[in-house]
Amino acid sequence: MAQIELKSLSKAFKTGKVLDGLDLSVEEGEIVCIFGPSGAGKTVLLRLIAGVEEPDAGAIFLEGRDATDAAPERRGIGIAFQNFALFPHMSAFDNIASALTAHGATVATIKAKVDKVAAMLKISHVLNHEPRALSNGQKQRTALARALAADPKIVLLDDPLRNVDAKLRYEMRLELPSLLRASDATVLYVTQDYKEAMAIGDRIAVLIDGRFEQVATPASIYRAPVSVGVARLFGDPTINLIPVNPQAGGDGLSCEISGAKVGLGAAQVEGAGRSMLLGLRPESLVVNDDAGLGGFPVDVVAVTPLNEKSVLLMRTRDGQEIFASEAGVENEERKPGPAFARFDPARALMFDEASGACIGSRP
Amino acid sequence: MEHSSRAERVLRGVLITAILVFFLFPILWIFLMSFQTNEEVLRIPPSLFFKPTLINYASLITGKLQTAAGSLDLAFMLNLWNSVLLSTLSVALSLLLGVPAAYAFARFKFRGSEDIAFTLLSFRFAPPLLVLLPLSLYFQDIGLNDTYVGLIWVYQLIALPLILWIVRGYFEDISPDIEYAYRIAGHSWLQTFLRIAVPLARPGIAAAGLLAFIFCWNNFVFALILASADKQPVTVGALAFVTASGIQYGQIAAAIVLSITPTLALALYAQRYLVEGLSLGAVKG
Amino acid sequence: MNASAKSGGDVALSLAGVDKIYAPTAERPVHAVKALDLDVRKGEIVALLGSSGCGKTSTLRMIAGFEAVTRGSITLAGRRIEHLAPARRGVAMAFEGYSLYPPLTVRDNIAFALKGAKINARDADKAVREVAALVEIEPILDRYPSSISGGQQQRASLARALVRPADLYLLDEPMGQLEPRLRALLRGRLKQLLGERGMTSIFVTHDQTEANALADRVAVMEGGVLQQLANQTELKERPANLFVATFIGEPPMNVFDAKVEVGERVRFAVENGPRLDFSANEFSESARREIAKRARVVIGVRPHDLRLNSGSNEARVVSNQWLGDQSHLALDVAGKLMVAVAFSEMGASRRDNLRYDVPAAKLHVFDADDGKAVSHGAAAA
Repeated sequence: MAQIELKSLSKAFKTGKVLDGLDLSVEEGEIVCIFGPSGAGKTVLLRLIAGVEEPDAGAIFLEGRDATDAAPERRGIGIAFQNFALFPHMSAFDNIASALTAHGATVATIKAKVDKVAAMLKISHVLNHEPRALSNGQKQRTALARALAADPKIVLLDDPLRNVDAKLRYEMRLELPSLLRASDATVLYVTQDYKEAMAIGDRIAVLIDGRFEQVATPASIYRAPVSVGVARLFGDPTINLIPVNPQAGGDGLSCEISGAKVGLGAAQVEGAGRSMLLGLRPESLVVNDDAGLGGFPVDVVAVTPLNEKSVLLMRTRDGQEIFASEAGVENEERKPGPAFARFDPARALMFDEASGACIGSRP
Repeated sequence: MEHSSRAERVLRGVLITAILVFFLFPILWIFLMSFQTNEEVLRIPPSLFFKPTLINYASLITGKLQTAAGSLDLAFMLNLWNSVLLSTLSVALSLLLGVPAAYAFARFKFRGSEDIAFTLLSFRFAPPLLVLLPLSLYFQDIGLNDTYVGLIWVYQLIALPLILWIVRGYFEDISPDIEYAYRIAGHSWLQTFLRIAVPLARPGIAAAGLLAFIFCWNNFVFALILASADKQPVTVGALAFVTASGIQYGQIAAAIVLSITPTLALALYAQRYLVEGLSLGAVKG
Repeated sequence: MNASAKSGGDVALSLAGVDKIYAPTAERPVHAVKALDLDVRKGEIVALLGSSGCGKTSTLRMIAGFEAVTRGSITLAGRRIEHLAPARRGVAMAFEGYSLYPPLTVRDNIAFALKGAKINARDADKAVREVAALVEIEPILDRYPSSISGGQQQRASLARALVRPADLYLLDEPMGQLEPRLRALLRGRLKQLLGERGMTSIFVTHDQTEANALADRVAVMEGGVLQQLANQTELKERPANLFVATFIGEPPMNVFDAKVEVGERVRFAVENGPRLDFSANEFSESARREIAKRARVVIGVRPHDLRLNSGSNEARVVSNQWLGDQSHLALDVAGKLMVAVAFSEMGASRRDNLRYDVPAAKLHVFDADDGKAVSHGAAAA
């Protein structure tokens, strides 16, 4: 049974439509990341599900019951906000306990549950502190503890790692999935960071302009995005999109990049004679000094390290700027200057330039 | 940059002293006057040196004013009590009505909410005389003239708009997420209001309450028209010092000292809240 | 004259013994920058990197002249500048916040910076257009600051700083508000521009990716103290202390307290955790000698340097996260998370046991008390 089910959910504000007919079904124990650019309506969606905002149309089913018109306090949800939203006049303990006090639990039960969740999140030693005496990381964990304390069946997390520093964010990214799984909750997790979405989500729902553009596992979204819009949101640096006009030939389609003829592989059959965008992830571009098979000429403009990778900023003969990234720092020695880039056609993506839709099936 | 020259420092000191003298001298002078007899007050040139007397205070407290023309009854202590009663009850009622209203205006945008809020504020800048005469006629008809209830009711015109507008700003400053978090945890909106919103807006409520108290305390014209001698506050009662035989400066000074004491004490006690409250409100704009 | 000012003709900017104390007469003065010595060579790009409150912005503002120097000297192009007004220091600065003149269009804002430079109108216009193209703001040149986005304002501010000739360019979080792709693009272009024209620059950032991508050398600051000034390879491979080691690198270095024995073999034992056993000749003699002085050390290894599926140590997989181009694995080691990164999709799933190995060449050893580096790989620090 789906724990969370959205049926053609819509919401508009004075400024225009924010959510436009959303359908989503989340299974028990699943973690689904709502991911999209800022302004896509992610937070509004979470507020509709929490019940602090009312939908214009559509229905929300929680644990199999129609909760569209239920008051927020009756939905049995745990929630953590981006800005933590801790109660500044209560200790960390009381903040966490606030999730339990409404249900008539005894003092002993409350204490036991708070202690348990605090231990799990490693904040047992700061339970007496008020929020202003907590570090950002501790605040974030307190907010999370409050969301999980009552063992809610449904947990909504609104970009909870947004306001903590990079190091802590990384640690939490590793820990969160196991913490959430331990609580057996069904989780909707809003984020703007594709790495966070891929790391935490069992599935990712890509929200663009108020619609779910694609809902799938992280790997399939990365490898087979349904549209340019989705492809662009994943990857660091982001995917290169080269306008091409493929022609059919004896050995499948080919196109011209930077003045050189480049084969697109036998698997690619659609798209001949149309304006297309060739999507190449930076890590699938190989840069060499010689042309080889299917190489096209580029000018390496700058070599910049990115974590343990080197990122090459290159310019094609047509003046387009593209990125290549290579694992390891061996290639740091590459100096700016002319070179050749090549890619495996099986890893290239083709998009219709007009509609943005991905053409042809990919692994 | 951050260094300031010697001349700047000296100039700054002089200016601060000048401002302090300008504002504090009258208060000091009143204080000194309250320990002088009327003759000493009126002596020309005035002198800082005199033999202090408590006669002014004594006559206020006993209610007997001895003048050259004879003795006069004074209701000053009753006036003081009236002031305390009227101001306290008015502010209490205003807080009871105004804080939930402020919350409603801050959190729920309903049709006409801005208009209603503005209308309430406009009570503050309409001249009191505009409403006073019709009001006194009504009050006579329905029997509220010269009653505490009637006065407290009218004092709402002073206190309610102040409390409503100051406290509303405070409620707006509280992140709605904080309240949502409490509600989603299973608490009703009333619990959320009482346990989250009100405690967080407490400095603002304290500041607004104090300001409203001072305004009520200092009100003159409502009580002058709507109350008779036994319901009058100090502001109106002070008129009694203007007697047929002359103005009793010494007693007036003593009365002023006595009547500002409660508000001063309250202001000093709540100073922390007041300064924090007013400046926070200013930032919010 | 101080020592650093004498140290050769190619030094463009030199800070010597610079202190910054805010509210020195107050009860609790804030010592924001402590005894900072920093030399920037001509044409060099230096990043000031640190978390908020580390003193990097105070340093930049002292160089620009917006903050007084409490102690010490600043020398730029052979002139002492710490007492000069900002306008007379010969520095150009791009601000993080909104610093454009509201009544002027973006074009005039940028051109305004050229007013003092005695350039004829045609050349000035060309310079403005070039720099606008570089930061991708040509379409908005005739708009007013109030009608463009924060990211565009930031780029306009950057353009205004870059367009004018100066001895030193100061950039405060130059790309903080930009979209990821644009940021990556500008990093490359900016690096090319600064390099080609030999523009000496200092930029402040809290983002080490940005620091590494743009800068020739990175000055890592913490608590007002310069921890290390080095290029990024050096910072990664030879961090001066535990702070730099765990601050630089994404994900950060894995560190563990360990007991150490040096003899025929060099053995590290992590409490309730793995034992690392190396033959003595995997370390240089000086490294062995330094390590042998201690019974307890802190050992560290970078996530990218762990060898997976080899060696004799085993750990339970806590999570395995595939990010499209790399796998991040968290292993439970001695009750802590140890992170490993591989640039291929790893098959391991949760609760599997995975073998791993720490190559001696990639092992960092730090003093257990003061955190100073003892050895990196085979060599002593």
